Amino acid sequence: MAGKRKLIIQSVIGFGLIMLAAFLMGGVLAYLETQGQDITSSAGALWAVGGFAAVTMLISLWVGFKWMSSIDEAAREAHKWAWFWGGSGGMAVGGVLVIMASLPQAAAIHIPAWYSERTDPAAYAATGAFAMLTLMLIGYTIAWAWWWLGRR
Amino acid sequence: MNNRLKVLRAERDWSQAHLATELGVSRQTVNALETGRYDPSLPLAFKIARLFQMPIESIFSDEE
Repeated sequence: MAGKRKLIIQSVIGFGLIMLAAFLMGGVLAYLETQGQDITSSAGALWAVGGFAAVTMLISLWVGFKWMSSIDEAAREAHKWAWFWGGSGGMAVGGVLVIMASLPQAAAIHIPAWYSERTDPAAYAATGAFAMLTLMLIGYTIAWAWWWLGRR
Repeated sequence: MNNRLKVLRAERDWSQAHLATELGVSRQTVNALETGRYDPSLPLAFKIARLFQMPIESIFSDEE
């Protein structure tokens, strides 16, 4: 249990550091913009944010690995079950939306992009990916709770 | 799968939390095991058998 407490503290510190790094990166980009640099069309800024996102994802995976290693087998089974059934369930719901969106009739539907009111292909791709991820996470959460409620 | 975990624990006057600590699992896992709604892995089953100093088949049964 001491190991789990240590992991939770490390996770909170790690999350805090990621938030701090994101805040600093935002600050640096904002500062550069006030200095007259066009950040929104800078390829360097795009790759810098991409690199930061990649590092963040790697840290998240590492925390996930450490977390899965620290919990007991039933808790691990709950996560695996939830990932398969909840994730697949969420993907099935998203799949219906993907099929509907591929129909010619959907061309007339104006779906708001998820940030900056952008309506270019990249923004819509990000919106679709984010929507699918959200549905999978909702399914995951429901399936995880279902697994434990059935074993109370 | 049925098991005698609850009886064996009660005989020793152990709480679920105590058994969980002994086995290195959570109390929720002990509860799931006792209610028969979660079947342990072989390593955990052996650990349980060692803790109670009994053969696995004396604790777990696949009979309904």
